[in-house]
Formats: sequence, C-alpha cells, structure tokens
Amino acid sequence: MKVEFALTEQKRARLKADKLDTGFGSFRNVEVTIGKVVDDDWDEPMGPTPMPDVTMLRSWDHKLLTRYRPAYMPACQLCCLCTFGKCDLTSGKRGACGLDIEGQSARIVLAAANIGCAAHLAHSRHMVDHMIHEFGPRFELTQGDGVEIEAPVTRLVTGIRPRTLEEASAVLDYCETQLTHTLSAVHTGQEGSWIDFESKAFHVGMVDQVGMEIADLAQISTLGFPQSDPEAPLVEAGISSMDPKKAMILAIGHNVVPATYIMDYASETGVADKIDIGGICCTAWDIARYDAKAKIVGPISWQLRFVRSGFADVVVVDEQCIRTDIVEHAKKVHSPVIATCDKSAMGLPDRTDDDVDDIVQDLVSGKIAGVYLRDHAKIGEVVVKTAIKMHPKRKKKGSLPSKAKIKELAQACRQCSECIRACPNNQPVMDAVLAAQEGNLGPLADVYDECIGCARCESACPNDYELHSWMVKAAEGRWKQESFMVRSGRGAIKDTEIRTVGQPIVFGEIPGVIAHVGCANYPDGGRAIHDHAEEFAKRRFIVVFSGCAAMTVGTIKDDEGKSIYERRPGTFDAGSVLNVGSCVANSHIAGAAIKIASIFAKRNLRGNYEEIADYIHNRVGAVGISWGAMSQKAASIAAGFWRLGVPVIVGPHGTKYRRMLLGRADKAEDWMVWDARTGDRVQVAAGPEHLFYAVENFEEMMVMTAKLAIRPNDTAKGRSIKLSHYIDLHETYMGYFPEDIHTYIRRETDIPITLKAKIHAQMKENKWKEKPIPDPTLVRRLVYGGKGGGE
Amino acid sequence: MMRAEPWQSAEVCGPTKAQGIKKTAVVGALIKKAKYPLLVVGAQALTEKTRKKSMIDYFIEFSTTHNIPIVATANTIKAFKEKGFDNAYSYGAMEITGRLQDHEWKVAPKKGPHDLVMTFGFPYYMEWLMLSALINFSPHIKTVTLGRYYQPHATWSFPNLKKQNWNDALKEILTPVGGAK
Repeated sequence: MKVEFALTEQKRARLKADKLDTGFGSFRNVEVTIGKVVDDDWDEPMGPTPMPDVTMLRSWDHKLLTRYRPAYMPACQLCCLCTFGKCDLTSGKRGACGLDIEGQSARIVLAAANIGCAAHLAHSRHMVDHMIHEFGPRFELTQGDGVEIEAPVTRLVTGIRPRTLEEASAVLDYCETQLTHTLSAVHTGQEGSWIDFESKAFHVGMVDQVGMEIADLAQISTLGFPQSDPEAPLVEAGISSMDPKKAMILAIGHNVVPATYIMDYASETGVADKIDIGGICCTAWDIARYDAKAKIVGPISWQLRFVRSGFADVVVVDEQCIRTDIVEHAKKVHSPVIATCDKSAMGLPDRTDDDVDDIVQDLVSGKIAGVYLRDHAKIGEVVVKTAIKMHPKRKKKGSLPSKAKIKELAQACRQCSECIRACPNNQPVMDAVLAAQEGNLGPLADVYDECIGCARCESACPNDYELHSWMVKAAEGRWKQESFMVRSGRGAIKDTEIRTVGQPIVFGEIPGVIAHVGCANYPDGGRAIHDHAEEFAKRRFIVVFSGCAAMTVGTIKDDEGKSIYERRPGTFDAGSVLNVGSCVANSHIAGAAIKIASIFAKRNLRGNYEEIADYIHNRVGAVGISWGAMSQKAASIAAGFWRLGVPVIVGPHGTKYRRMLLGRADKAEDWMVWDARTGDRVQVAAGPEHLFYAVENFEEMMVMTAKLAIRPNDTAKGRSIKLSHYIDLHETYMGYFPEDIHTYIRRETDIPITLKAKIHAQMKENKWKEKPIPDPTLVRRLVYGGKGGGE
Repeated sequence: MMRAEPWQSAEVCGPTKAQGIKKTAVVGALIKKAKYPLLVVGAQALTEKTRKKSMIDYFIEFSTTHNIPIVATANTIKAFKEKGFDNAYSYGAMEITGRLQDHEWKVAPKKGPHDLVMTFGFPYYMEWLMLSALINFSPHIKTVTLGRYYQPHATWSFPNLKKQNWNDALKEILTPVGGAK
C-alpha cells in the first residue's frame, strides 16, 4: 500500500492512498483532504501576495489613489445609516461617528462595490454548488482548446489554478471571506479614511473579478457553451425574432441554470418546436450560449416593453437587474411569473412541494399571478406546461391600448410636467401626450426610441396613465420589425490570440483594447455605442463587448442590413469586434490583459498581483467603457479594472456613481515613475490621464477614449500611432489641434510624420526638451539588479 | 415663475439649498463683486436658444460684456472656436469640476483662483452633481446657474422658469451693473 501525506502551502492536510483498509471496509484510490486542495504540481513559483487580505495590496492602491485623486460629488449631504443620525455633513461638519463628507462619500463608493460584488459572488456560488451537485466535485474545468492559462484572474489573485469544481469552490471561499471583511468596513465606527475606503473598494472589485471568472468558467465547462471560440455562432435577436405562433417564454436576469432546465424539459418531452424561449439581459446571452436556437430579446431596458407587448406566455425571472414590480406588470397582460431564485422570490407563494399539474392549473386559470419554485427540474416542467396551455388563452387577450383609446385618454392630461420631471433623460413625454390628443402618436414613438424603460413617468402621472404602454403602442410598427444578428458569447481569449497581439499592444502598434461593458441606462439611446465601436475598430483597436452593451451594438445595421458582428471578425485582433458573453464574462477581458503580461512578457502570474497590475497600467492600452452604466455590479466591475490600473469611462449617468478618479496633467510631480532599468525617477506624460471618468456626450467619449489609451511604455511607433488617433479625433470633435501634444513627445521619433510641422511649432512654443523613455514602474522593488528598495 | 424646487423631482439635497434668483440684478451684483468669475458652458448650449439667438452667441456676448473667461466642456469648445472667440478654454465637465476643488487653480495666469462660477448647458442630474462637488469641497466659490431649472446645490439659481421669463432674465443679465468691468 502506498500512502502519501502532505501539508500544503496553506497548511491543510491531504491523505492519498492506493488502498485503505478500515473498519467500514476496504477502499481503493482514496484521497482525503482536510481543508482545501492546493495545487502542488504547478511549477510556477508563488508570488508575494496569494489570496491577499483586505490590506495586503493597500500600498499599490495608495499609489494609484495618490495619482488619481477621488473627486467626490455627493448625492446627499446627510448620513442616515445609523440611529445617531441623520447627521449633517455640510460645511466641514462631522457626523456623530466622526466621519466627514469625504469619508462618507468614499464609504458609499465601497458600499456600491460591495453590493455589486455580492451579486456576482452569490451567482457564482449558486452556479458552482449547483454544478457540484449535478456533476460532482471533480468535474474538470476548461476554457477550451488554445487556452493553457485558464482562469488567469484567479491565478493572479489567489495563486490557485482551479482545475475542478471543488477547487473553484475553494476559490469562492476566499472571495466570500474578503467580501465579508470589506462589507464590515462600511459599518458605523469602522473605517474612517477616504483613502482606505477607496482601497477596500478596489479590493472588493478585484475579488469580484475572481467571482465572475469562476462563475463563467463553471458554466462554460459544464453547459457546453462556446469555449474561447472566435467563431461563436451568430444568433437572432430583437423582439420580432420571437415566433408568435409558438408559446413564448421570456427569461429575465443573469443566472442561466433555471432556463437550461426549461430548454431540457422541452427537448426531452418532444415539445421544443412548440415553444420559443427568449431572454432579456445576461440570461439572454447564456441561453443562446447553451442553445443557439434560443432568442435574445434585448437588453435590460427592454424588459418592460416586451412584457407590455403581451407576447410572453410565461415570464421567468432569476436574479439581478429584474424589475422588482415585474409581477404587477405581467399580471396586467395575464402572463404568469415564475420566480426561480432565492434572491428574488418577488413575494410569490413557494409551491415547490406541490404537484406540478396543480401549480400549472392555478397559473393558467389566473388563480395566482405567479409562483416561487426552488426545484430546477420542477421549474422546467411547470414553465413549459404553463406556457403551452397559456398560449391559446392569451392570444385572445389584448395587451396594449388602441390608438383611439390613447387619444381619448390623453384629452384629460393636466399638463403638470410631472412625467418630464420624473424622466431620467428629461424626455418630452408631456408634449408627446399633447400630440396624442390630436391623434398624432409620432412623438410618443420618438420618446420610445430613447426610452430606458424605467416607467418613472407612469409612477409620476397623477392621471395614472400607462405611458410606457402608450409609447410601446405608438412604436408598434418599429419594434415589430426589430430583428438583428448578434454573435454569441465566445468566452475567454485564447493564449494563441494573445501570442499574436501581445507585442503590438504593449508596443502601442495596436493602439488599444476597448471594452464596452455594462448596462443600458443610455442618455440618448444606444447608437453611440455602435458608432464608437465602428470608429475604433476602423482605427485597428480591438473592440470587446459584454453584457447588455453587446446586444445594443447589434441593433444598428448597415445599408446591407448587416450588424457589426456580421461585418467584423470575432477574433481578438486589430479591427475585430468580439463578444465575450454575459456580465460574468467581463472577467475574460481582465484575463486577456493579465495574459499579455504572462505570455508576451513572461511575468509570473501566480499570486503576483501588484507586479502584473503595474505592468498592465504602464503598458497595456486598455480602456473600459460603460456608456449606460446603471448598477452596483457595474461599479464593482469598474473597481476591479481600477485596481489593475485600467481606466474606465462611463456615460453621463455614470456621474451618479458620485466619484471620479482624476489625474492632474498639470502637476508634473504626479507623473513620476521608476525606470526599472536604471532605478532613476523619471517623469512621464499623463497617460492614462484619468482612472474613472464620466463623459458628457458621445463626442467627448470619442476623444477621451483615444487619449486614455496612451501608456508610458509605448514605443516610438506606438506613441506616434496613438497620437495620430488622438489628434484626428480631437480635431474632428473639438475642432482644433490639441494643445497638449508636446507633453506626449519624448523623442523626435514619437512624432506622427504627417503632423511634424504643427507639432514642431507646438514643441518650440513650449520649449520642449527630449525626455527618456523609461521601463516604467510605480513599484520600486521592481527595479532590476537590486537598485530598488522599499517604498 | 414656478417654485424653487428641484426640476427632477427626486433630486432633493441636504440642509443647504440654493437661493432663488428673484431679481436678475443679483447676478449682476455677484459678477461685479467677484474678483475672478468663470463661466462653465456645457454641450446643451449647442442646441439651446434664447429667443432666436444661439446660446453660443449669447455667451460670447455675455463673456465679452462682463470680461469673464469661459470653460467650454466636451465639443462645446468647437462652436466657440468656429466663431473666432478666443476667451474659451477646453476642459471636460468632470475635469473642471475636479480642478475647481483646487483652491489655487486658475483657468489662465492672472485669471484666478476663481471665486464665482456660473454654469449652463449640462444634463440636469450632471449639473446637480457638479454643483454638489463645489458646494461641499469648494467653499471659496459661489455658484450661479443660468439654466431654466432650479438647481438646489448652487449658491444662487433661477427657480423653474417658463421659457419667456428665462429669456427675459438672460437679456437682463447681459447688462453690467454700474458699467462694464
């Protein structure tokens, strides 16, 4: 008998035996682990910060937060979080706990990041636990062929290379511990300094990326999703992609597991051709990754319009970003609601233990508006049976008011402007209602085009007009034609792709990687996302999408009726436009940046966060954009990118995150780096100038994107290319040659050849002097040859 | 004249609240008293008009009359440049909000630090937050909003005005108190 006993680096015990005789019997190939498994056959050396606790990377955060100082814009000058309060924090006053407005503002930033991380992490935990239940703890994780560095974020942060669901679960243990600590810091009388609240927000953002990566890795591995596939299938999207002849099931949310049971049940019982399943928000992406025949109805802002259209025979909700009044809205159009997630039971009765046919009967008869079910198998059966029975019944029921009815009701408008005042985008709702008095529904249809679907206008209307339904009716001719093609989520970026583009990205010859992520809280519709992506893809940036933004970009078609996904390849390469998948697939974007450091620069990833973040910040021209950022999840996703040193741009509604991270290009002392080759302190240009920035409009987004792609490490050729784009976009949208170009010129060779005369003139005017091009680092210990030292 | 209450109903603020401008002479007096006033103009100025005049033309006249430099945010700068106006400086809305929290910062040599900032042309919620930053972190600066809608985080703001009343108010504040500076 061979017995091995090992204490892992985490000092947890593991016993392996090829044969073990016990009082219970004789066992072969026994492996017992006390604690969690740690990979001890991985030869990459462990870095300095495996599984960092809340303050282990604090000094890195402080470096970033000193350069990119938070600029707070409090939404409230009071604190009402404890019974000491309310406390007035105006004019330098402190609350009863001692916190001032700066600290309180930072505390709110941390609270948002905690909430966002918790949503992803709970999703991830459910996914992993469920898959362990279904497939067993040793089920192997994979991101597909061409990916050897699987789970790069997890490797970087935890030092663990998760190969099985069991190991993924151990990673989540770490994440949950960290979240508990960062959440506790928000409690009254804990953290007191803005910079440490901010550092903790960065920490939980980093943890969030790990949680997202594990969630997507688990579902990709177990559910047959595309695995790092640049040619993931094109799938049909839009409201009109749903077939009204079939029983329609609408799945809303982010957790695909319940929907897979619905699709499986329909297939197994031979009724798949009788139903059509479509999704809203990230569940849409993941049902399409599970089965390319599933439909993508649209982004989060479309949930109310689709429910109001009355097409859905059953509405299934899982978790995150669901309208919390969905039951009320669905009830109006006689669509039963099935709640499937413990996070969002929606006040519905738990009928998990009841007979399926009894549940279906109660739903179909209208006796109950919906049910909460905890059993996935039962969810599949109930949903399919209910949808098929509801379909013929609901066909006879009208859902939207007629045009004549709208005209009649509109006559009583009080012209109080409350609908406009409630609209986040100040849309002319009242003017549209007044036009409807004359039978002209055109203005209501125009409001629909830019509507984010919040229905605050309805809540505010003293006449209780169902204004959103009016808009949907007015625009009926438009959305009934709404069909477009999108590319299913491909998952991670292949190592082989990184090998091709790593060098040109780091040298700046591929001028940047743009990541469009997040929600659909757009200031004026979603066209800006498409036009931005198209322009930067033309300029040979790599443009990556995820989440709702990935749907919106597909809605715009060219003259031939093709979407951007049909026009551009899905590889991770210059000029491509790719979709990694749902919200949790955001982790693959961070993963790609991390893998550049590993594959191109041969840096160790394992537990080596600070060095890799420093590398990315100084070398990889990545820019995150969330034009319609809405949620706390978007906040935590952004926080994860901040800690990696990647700048994030949000649309104007992003100001409501109430804090920017702004650099000061005019302060030379803020832009000092160590030259890793010489150990010298060297001043570099302000690149990236900001770490978190809300743009006012599309035009500013265009210019800011090009500017934030600049990095200290750009080669002369790379810098020249990046400056060409910045100058061209600045001249186009701002109308003049930018005045700061001389600050980005280090040597003559940085100057774009066609712009030499103008730039030389600016250099002369500003008494330009040649500057060194360092091997830049913010971390002194990373200076080669022992010339570095402590901070 | 409507009431001095937030235009977007939910945008209520804390214990301090902007004083409603009932007489436009208040704006003139604030400009006269200020050492280094600054006008911050956002992109809604590109589409908004007062009577038949574009807001860009209006602010060029306003700036020239009162000798106040302009910060034009986003692509607003393009419109000023195209009209040959050279007292406009380009900053993003968030950048200028950040810079004004630096008590030493000035838009140009000998033109600051600023003690009065007037704003126009931003989405309501965005201006609301920009002004919140200034009221909390730039106590040395008084702020005046020149838009139609009441902004509670300003020091002074028009109450929610009907378009005609707002047009009249804008016309009145073009005339300097006690002559041009």
